[in-house]
Amino acid sequence: MTDNPRETRVLEAVVSLVDSLLDDFDVVDLLTELTERCAELLDIEAAGFLLADPLHRLRLLAATSEEARELEFFQLQADEGPCVDCYATGQPVSVADIRGATERWPRFVPAAAEAGFASVHAVPMRAAGIVLGALGLFGSHAGELTEADLLVGQTLTHIACVAILQERPPTPSTVMPQLRAALTSRVIVEQAKGFLHHMLEVSVEEAFHLLRTYARDSGEHLTDVARKLMTDRYSRPMLVAELADLAAARPH
Amino acid sequence: MATHEQLIAAIDGLRGMDAADRLCEACVVLLDIDAAAISLVFDGANSGTLGSSGAPARIYDELQFTLGEGPCLDSVLRRIPILIVDLADPAEARWPAYRPAMLAHQIRGVYAIPVVVAGEFVGALDLFRARPGPLLATDLAGAVAAAELAAIPVLDLLDGDLHAAVTDPNSDAWAELNRLTRAEVSQAIGMLVAQLEVEPALALILLRAHAYATGRSVTDIARDILDRRLKLEAD
Repeated sequence: MTDNPRETRVLEAVVSLVDSLLDDFDVVDLLTELTERCAELLDIEAAGFLLADPLHRLRLLAATSEEARELEFFQLQADEGPCVDCYATGQPVSVADIRGATERWPRFVPAAAEAGFASVHAVPMRAAGIVLGALGLFGSHAGELTEADLLVGQTLTHIACVAILQERPPTPSTVMPQLRAALTSRVIVEQAKGFLHHMLEVSVEEAFHLLRTYARDSGEHLTDVARKLMTDRYSRPMLVAELADLAAARPH
Repeated sequence: MATHEQLIAAIDGLRGMDAADRLCEACVVLLDIDAAAISLVFDGANSGTLGSSGAPARIYDELQFTLGEGPCLDSVLRRIPILIVDLADPAEARWPAYRPAMLAHQIRGVYAIPVVVAGEFVGALDLFRARPGPLLATDLAGAVAAAELAAIPVLDLLDGDLHAAVTDPNSDAWAELNRLTRAEVSQAIGMLVAQLEVEPALALILLRAHAYATGRSVTDIARDILDRRLKLEAD
């Protein structure tokens, strides 16, 4: 993969996300891929994606690592940080060295440093004149994100946004219910992670990998697999058995 | 103040039925509609109107339970908002009994938005208007926000045995809604579903009841469950 020139890898990411537009896709899966592609392509260590709910609360939809996930949660709780600012202003945020941002984010900066991050950036997701969410990009070393990097991050975010809203051209009234549906999907996927954490005695991260792998292998939506697990008592035993097989086959 | 902030302010300090009624009243004041109701469509025993902006709204809402059909039931079943711009439109053939009954009450616009608790579609916010036509975009956004907020009174009322939340003067619906959207709460609900073989909404009720009984936050309880330090029993 790393032998390929970066241009090729960016194009591959674009193609992969655009493909989801032409096909049936799962929103949690798609946004997880968005964060993974960004972490892979940009000069950053981890990424997380926050989406606003109808009550204008930012909520975590996807993250590449436990550290990114914790840091995104921290921003939500402390109500400060690059993603919070990016959502509030609708503008990209780029901080090359977080040590210089302690006045701006007195609580976020120590938490980010603690998690091993030195630079933080955020790009907005926007449609219909409103800001829908923010993609947070976290680097392990200090440094600017280049114009090209920001552009790649913004482009992938735009594509993901189009994918979420693809059913109809976005207006404020169509955007809200669709965002709400995306967030409900996330709730069910989180429940399914907890379910497998108990049933298969795996970590919640491993549970997520299992669900995603299973969904991809069987050509089903991640959310549909999760919903089946949570609410369909008849399908559940078979599904758990199949996921257990998958867990046994994975290297530890 | 933005509509969603006014809605949050309207239910400040209220729980259960009172919060549901006040939320409906606030919808009538803030949105271009004539009546509002919140109904629970969970299982046969629990179904019914939980809150309303007044007697007419309650009558409109109960009609669909009497007739066994209507947009609120459909929005829960299909898990999407159902927005009827004109019940008098001859092409509107979805509800043969509900449609003439509502027209007899001079209601032509009905807008039903699902209420979601623990990922389960358990009820709907129903808005009624005498005048036909679509909801304004800003009003629809407000209605979706109200449906989101309705999760807390619906949760209060789903839990028939729990009076703690309703009587606790420190329990704030908005703060609770914020805690319930945390990922670890969803994950703990999933664990409880696996352990106790209950539905997700019931798992949330058990989790919440334990939090109230022990005076701890739902997020703390959720973490203890995930780390296997705490095991709840179904009663």
